[in-house]
Amino acid sequence: MARKVLLFVLMAYVIVSGIAYPIVPHPKAWYEFPIIPGLEERAKIIFFHVPTAWLSVIAFLMTMFYGVKYLRKKNMDDDAKSLAALQLGLVFTILATITGSIWAKFNWGTFWNWDPRETSIFILLLIYGSLIALRSAVENDDKRARLSAVYSIIAFLTVPFFIFIMPRIMVGLHPGSANDDNAGPVVDFKMNINMQMVFYLSLISFTLLYYWMWQLRYKAIIIKDKLSKRLI
Amino acid sequence: MDGGFLGFLENNAIYIVLLIVLVVWLGIFLFMLNTNKRLKEIEKEMKGK
Repeated sequence: MARKVLLFVLMAYVIVSGIAYPIVPHPKAWYEFPIIPGLEERAKIIFFHVPTAWLSVIAFLMTMFYGVKYLRKKNMDDDAKSLAALQLGLVFTILATITGSIWAKFNWGTFWNWDPRETSIFILLLIYGSLIALRSAVENDDKRARLSAVYSIIAFLTVPFFIFIMPRIMVGLHPGSANDDNAGPVVDFKMNINMQMVFYLSLISFTLLYYWMWQLRYKAIIIKDKLSKRLI
Repeated sequence: MDGGFLGFLENNAIYIVLLIVLVVWLGIFLFMLNTNKRLKEIEKEMKGK
């Protein structure tokens, strides 16, 4: 219970600091954030949008990890863990797309611009959405788990390219693109120590939240499976 | 609106956003606590049978 209370307090702190702390030209107080060129007040999205994108990568990595584990041991619990990670990965990818899209409306003028970053996340949504479709199309449990595990391995091979490589080597609007005039990572060079602290706390609290959600989800899947088998 | 808490919120809309996000977070947290409790009860019941 203590860990859950800690998570609640951590996330509440990230919400309060991420939304309410002021962005000023020359921060002096411990609660002030610096102006990041090109982002200004809109930089606050970093505390919520980046962790959701980060979690989608973690979730898809776990989908593959438990897929591999299933192929090795043929334990259906590993398939349930892989499925739970897949579902959460899709939820966080959709959240990253929505938060990014709202930010794009205020920064670039429209919700969607087919920027390389937007295009890559859209392709990832299609790839992993297809895995959900594949799972629902196969009735046999073992066959579904086997196919899903193999698909998750192949699908994850594309994730580093679409998340870390393509948006950085192509010309685009998103911060960090090849033609970004404010070159250099936002986190290392543009944030002051206060902003970095809130950012890393945000990553930690979102990761803990994801882990808790994943545990609840896979337990629910396993219980549901067991109950349906008992009924049959 | 002059002065008072409502006047403050009217001039600082970001705090309304903050309040809404905190309420949403509290809702998610309570929902997860409740789900956690229910799952534990079901697991216990299934082990007992």
